[in-house]
Amino acid sequence: MKTWKRLHDNPVLWERYFIREKVIRAVRSFFEKEKFHEIETPLLIAHPPAESYLDVFKTTLLDRKRRKTAAYLSTSPEVPLKKLMVAGLGDCYALTKSFRNMETQSNLHNPEFTILEWYRIGADYFDIMKDCEKLLRVIAGADTLTYQGHPIRLKAPWERITVADSFKKYAGVDFDVFLDKKQARVIATKKGYKIEPQTTWEELYNQIFLNEIEPHLGQGRPTIVYEFPAAVAALAKKKASDPRFAERFEFYIAGLELGDAYSELTDPVEQEARFKNELREIKRLGKTSYDYDHDFIDALKAGLPTCSGIAVGVDRLVMLLTDTTDIADTLFFPASEEFPLLE
Amino acid sequence: MSTITTSDFTKSTFIEFKGEPYQIVEFQHVNPGKGSAFVRTKLKSLKTGKVQEFTFKSGESVTEVPVVTREMQYLYKEGDNYVFMDNTSYEQFNISSAMLGNYVNYLKPNDVYQILVNGEDAVGLRFPKKVRLKVTEATEGSKGNTVSGATKTVIVETGAVVTVPLFIKEGETIAIDPETGTYLERA
Repeated sequence: MKTWKRLHDNPVLWERYFIREKVIRAVRSFFEKEKFHEIETPLLIAHPPAESYLDVFKTTLLDRKRRKTAAYLSTSPEVPLKKLMVAGLGDCYALTKSFRNMETQSNLHNPEFTILEWYRIGADYFDIMKDCEKLLRVIAGADTLTYQGHPIRLKAPWERITVADSFKKYAGVDFDVFLDKKQARVIATKKGYKIEPQTTWEELYNQIFLNEIEPHLGQGRPTIVYEFPAAVAALAKKKASDPRFAERFEFYIAGLELGDAYSELTDPVEQEARFKNELREIKRLGKTSYDYDHDFIDALKAGLPTCSGIAVGVDRLVMLLTDTTDIADTLFFPASEEFPLLE
Repeated sequence: MSTITTSDFTKSTFIEFKGEPYQIVEFQHVNPGKGSAFVRTKLKSLKTGKVQEFTFKSGESVTEVPVVTREMQYLYKEGDNYVFMDNTSYEQFNISSAMLGNYVNYLKPNDVYQILVNGEDAVGLRFPKKVRLKVTEATEGSKGNTVSGATKTVIVETGAVVTVPLFIKEGETIAIDPETGTYLERA
C-alpha cells in the first residue's frame, strides 16, 4: 500500500513522518549557532568524484539544438564545498539530496537520499568527532534515546576504538598480521570465509568487519571507529606516524553506520593519482564511467586549507529517532513505492 | 546440488552453509562506507529452526540445496509439530513450530498449503505475502481519542490477535502479512 494511503487510513502515522522536519530544523539551528555557511550544491553535475564503489546515475543534457552532453546526478556535495573552501568560504555545510545507483533491496539505502556534509577549516578528524557528539544531542533533544528497545546514552565522550583494536577485541585478529594480503587470506580461510580467486583484501576486511565487529558497535552508547587502513580510505589523509592507516572514522549507533569522516586529503598530486586509479577500477568493474573533475584538481593546486569533514546519512538519523528499521518507513515516497519492480 | 551466487538469493532459497542446510529467510544488500557490496542474510537452519546472521560477499558462490514444493493439506497440531498430508500420495509430514515461525498463527485446518520438501523432510511452508482471515471478535473502537484510539486489536478465525484501524468490524475479512503479523487492508 502507498504511504499516502496508509496515512489516510491511519493518521497516527503522521507523528512518525514529522520527525524528519524536526531533525532538519535541529541540524540547521546547530550549524547556525556554530556560524557555518549553508551551501546549496548542484545536483546535476558534469564530473562525479571518482569512487569505484559507487554507481552513478547518468543522464543527458540537451542544448537548444538537441546536442548532447553527458550529465550525472551528484553522489555527494563534497567537491563543490571543497572548491568554495579553496575560494575562502570557511566552515560550511550542505544538507541536500544525493543519488547512488544499484543500492536497492536494502533497508538502509534509498537510491536518492538526504546527506549532511560539514567541513571545519583547520580541524582534524578528532574535532569532527566532537561535533558529532554535540550534534546528536541537539537532534535527539535529550541525553538518551531508545532504539529497538535498547537505550542509548548520547552523552560525550562516546566510545572510541581503532579499527585494529576492534579486530582484536571482537574478531580475535591481530591487525598487523591481517594487513599482509597473504596472511589475511589465511586468517579468513581459518574463520570459514570463502576465498575465491577474485576475492580482494578489501572484501575480506569488510566481510570480517560486517560479520564479527559491526553488530557490537554503538550498543548502549555511540561508537566511533577510527584509523582505517589506507586501502579503504581513498579520500582521507594518511596518518603521519603510520602511513598504513588513514585519518578516517565512522560512527555507529545501535549497529547503524551513520557517518563517515576524514581529515581531508589536500595534496593535488596524490588526489589526481587516486582518481585515475579509481577510474581504472570503475572500468574494470564495468560500471558507468566518466572523466574525473580536472577543475577540482586545479582547485587543490590553488590550495585547499587543512580541513576535516564528514558525511552523515540524514535518513538513518531519522530511522534512529523514529525507532524504525527500514529507511522506507521514514520517507513519504520511498523508491520502492515509486518503482515497484525494485521490490 | 547446483552452485548459485548471491544474486540468485530469494527469500526461499535453500543453501548449504558450513556443511548444513539453511533457508535464507531475509536478505539485504549492504554497501559499507566506500566499500564493495555485500549481502546480509538471516539463515534458518533446516535442522534446528534456529536463525543466524551471515554477510556474504556480493557475487560469492554458494551451493543450493534442492527443495521441491508440494501441495498439502494442514490436518492438525500434535505437540510442537504441525501435521500436513499430501492428498495425492496420502503421505504425512510433520513441521515443527520453530520451522514455521510466525506462520503458525495463521494456519487454517483443512486449507491447502505449499510445503517445501528436501529429500524425506518437510522443511517449510511457502506462505503468500497476504493471508485473508475473518475477524471473529472485535470491539467498537472508542472515538475521540485519536492518539491511542486510532488502532485496536481484534481476533481472527485462527485465534491470532491483530492490530487494526478502528473501522474494522466483526465478520469482515482482513488481509494480514503473515510474516510480520501486521494488518494490510480490508480484503
